[in-house]
Amino acid sequence: MSDHDHIIEPHTRTLHTRREFMRTSMLGAAAAWTLPVFLQKTFLTLDAMAADSAIQSATGKDGTILVVLQLAGGNDGLNTVVPWADDAYYKARPVIGIKSDAVLKVNDYMGLNPKLAGLKSLYDEGHLSILQGVGYPNPNRSHFRSTEIWQTGSDADRNESYGWLGKYFDSCCKGADPTVGVAIGNELPQSFTSPHPTGVSFSRPEQYRWMNNDRTGDTDALFRELNSPEQSADTNAGGSIGMIGGAKQKTGGSTLDFLQRTALDAQMSSDKVLEIARKYKASVDYPHSPLADSLNLVARMIAGGLATRVYYVSQGGYDTHTNEAPTHERLMGELNDALAAFAKDLQAQGNFQRVMLMTFSEFGRRVTQNASNGTDHGAAAPMFVMGGAVKAGVFGKYPSLTELNAGDLIYNVDFRSVYATVLEKWLRAPSKQVLGKAFPLLPII
Amino acid sequence: MTKAAHLLNRAGFGGSPEQIKAFCELGLDGAVKQVLNAPDDAEQFPKPAWAAPRNMMEMRQQLQALPQEERREKFQMMQKEERGNGIDLIAWWLDRMTRSPNPFREKMTLFWHGHFATSVQKVKQPFLMWKQNETLRASAFGNFGAMVKEMSRDPAMLIWLDTRESKKEHPNENFARELMELFTLGIGNYSEDDIQQAARAFTGYKMHPVDQTFRFAPMQHDEGEKKFFGKTGNFNGDDIIDMILEKPQCARFIAKKIWEFYGYESPKPAIVDALANSFRAQKYEIKPLMNEIFRSAEFYSADAIRTQVKSPVQWVVQTVKILETELPRGQVVINVLRQLGQIPFAPPSVKGWDGGKAWITTSTLLLRYNLANFALGRGPINMQRVRNVAANKNMNRPGFDVENHTPIDFEKIAPKELRSDSKRLVAYLAFRLFQSPLGPRESESFIGFVEQHKDNLDDETIRDLLHLMMSTPQYQLT
Repeated sequence: MSDHDHIIEPHTRTLHTRREFMRTSMLGAAAAWTLPVFLQKTFLTLDAMAADSAIQSATGKDGTILVVLQLAGGNDGLNTVVPWADDAYYKARPVIGIKSDAVLKVNDYMGLNPKLAGLKSLYDEGHLSILQGVGYPNPNRSHFRSTEIWQTGSDADRNESYGWLGKYFDSCCKGADPTVGVAIGNELPQSFTSPHPTGVSFSRPEQYRWMNNDRTGDTDALFRELNSPEQSADTNAGGSIGMIGGAKQKTGGSTLDFLQRTALDAQMSSDKVLEIARKYKASVDYPHSPLADSLNLVARMIAGGLATRVYYVSQGGYDTHTNEAPTHERLMGELNDALAAFAKDLQAQGNFQRVMLMTFSEFGRRVTQNASNGTDHGAAAPMFVMGGAVKAGVFGKYPSLTELNAGDLIYNVDFRSVYATVLEKWLRAPSKQVLGKAFPLLPII
Repeated sequence: MTKAAHLLNRAGFGGSPEQIKAFCELGLDGAVKQVLNAPDDAEQFPKPAWAAPRNMMEMRQQLQALPQEERREKFQMMQKEERGNGIDLIAWWLDRMTRSPNPFREKMTLFWHGHFATSVQKVKQPFLMWKQNETLRASAFGNFGAMVKEMSRDPAMLIWLDTRESKKEHPNENFARELMELFTLGIGNYSEDDIQQAARAFTGYKMHPVDQTFRFAPMQHDEGEKKFFGKTGNFNGDDIIDMILEKPQCARFIAKKIWEFYGYESPKPAIVDALANSFRAQKYEIKPLMNEIFRSAEFYSADAIRTQVKSPVQWVVQTVKILETELPRGQVVINVLRQLGQIPFAPPSVKGWDGGKAWITTSTLLLRYNLANFALGRGPINMQRVRNVAANKNMNRPGFDVENHTPIDFEKIAPKELRSDSKRLVAYLAFRLFQSPLGPRESESFIGFVEQHKDNLDDETIRDLLHLMMSTPQYQLT
């Protein structure tokens, strides 16, 4: 790895974030003449955008950060937060039920999966809250549909096309860096979708850049020049119809302007992400798993002060229809080890107080084990919320294992109450505006 | 030439310089006629081998006869097979878009697919998705009213919007709501009561468990009086659709959506009114509407030409045509489209794809730039990414396969005799890639690149240049 002096190529040593841009632009025109000409128009655009936004969200080193962790496939809540004192649990799950003496007891009714020792410690230290019986009315048992419901925060009987985080970015983070939302993975999650999508995704930082085959070293400079707004609006005047960059639309802002602004954003955020990835290494050892890799990357981005409010990571494999025990045990182990390392890393960085991690899964699983010693799609399940500022404890009621709805646990906490709480109390955002209606807040923060 | 290219790009998926020139020689009249009357391609694209009805009744009986463990295994095997068929289906359509002598019908079918957006993720049966696709294709330039009625009975739609679950005791409102909100009128042009009443009219719409065709179940249909749009009567589903079509708003809604897909976003009300009036006068016949659009001056105005962001499907198919290469194999091209945000047969919701600027984020823009390198035949830059996606999606199929990539004919794309003349070379390449002259900054940059490499303008350098040209905001426009 190169030493710090060579982290940034000379020509990228310009400006990295819109916030820096805006700060600089506030110095006024005097500063502008030192900038490449092509950036000057951008200042005007950015100033206008900053003025537009109702709430300028705090980003970078100062703001609170949310990490959303999706347990994809439908995590078995009953074998995660285990009702060890309930006979009905062992009656329904004679083979896959977790023996009561192995459970990491939280109270005289339930405890954590034996693999979740790290989470138990975090709970004991006051950094973990356990939300029981989270779900929504008229639960849907399709992965696709139930995931969509969780990602969009919609009612089960309505189709909502935009994601709850996308709506948050849209209404509260206008003019922010595109890295306001970062998804570790190959595509933006559905929860990031919005009429004006923002957010970036990558599973390795080196993918989030323009990959050329620059054998002479001059292509990159040309690329940068071509991927920035035009010098001035007048350049295009008189361009003939069809001349690229020539056609000015009468309606709204030109699509080309938008693309050029996004291209500049892409360059700046790519430079920043790569710089942080090169500069910051984990302060603790992470285990080897895809989830641990993802959280490691998130921790490095946080350490480097990427202007991000929401990170999104996921762990797959929870669709345990067949021979559940070994698979679920492994997943719980990976989850635990990755989260424990992440918490330790953030504590070492001094960032644990400003980071909150929330888990969710599209549904829990059926109470009764099936004939293949697995479980089928169910409904309500627990969520974990972890962080330095979290109010530790157990919230919500553990759903009854005998009063069921078509074989499934009945929810008592609407997941949108959790979203509303996170929005209001952690991200300081108006939850009603984002979720479309008001939900009761929970005392978890 | 710019106009001809514009029509070819928007009505179809663009083409090579030769194809654009041939199209141009037809003249506007001839070109529009070709768009609307291109030859049928059904023989060239026979239905996939697996595209046959699944006898659900028989399959259920067979499964139930098995011991529990085997039943589960068999069921999982069937699911896996259907997932494979789903991948095959997407590849089948993309291939048809790319190679069909009638790409115009495919483009229009893509529009209707985005309009009646249905996803295999819920429908689960690729055969039904294929069947819906064929229905949309057959009606693509037909009658809109007839198409809505066909869609109300379409088996994939019956599953997608729960119509088949809708009984007179418990009418399900999903289809009735989206029928008005998304398929015909747009939000705000009906009441919640209208939805409830319409839902009653669509009860008893079932699917036959043996041949998987539409079946009307009179016992489950609500024969009572319904009050809809101020009228009262024992309306059935078709009556409801007819009453919706009577509303001028329906013609406005559809005409505007079609214009925005082919022309540009947010057209002036006068344009929408004019189109809607003739659409209604023509009793919702689609072909005359398209004829009017493609012959209008507005379609060739500065507001329209090169102002549209290519959809991911357009980007992929047009790139293949521009570079005169082949589509990557099924799983690869699907992973590419997934990351770019548009998988045919799997729209994100019943609202379809937002399109336009929503295709572009910093991530998808960089991805398009990097995919251009792959399209140019360069190494497996995103190999890990593709593998990850394959693993995540539980579809562990072979990923990238660089060896199988069709070589690009650089000699044809950048003839040797042009390589000594930087200006002519850049202009020549620009027509292929952008179908229009370059702006001064772009022109200077590309010419500068050629000048700098003039002693060594081999195919690799041409590839570098093409990659640079495609890694621009301008290449994202059509």
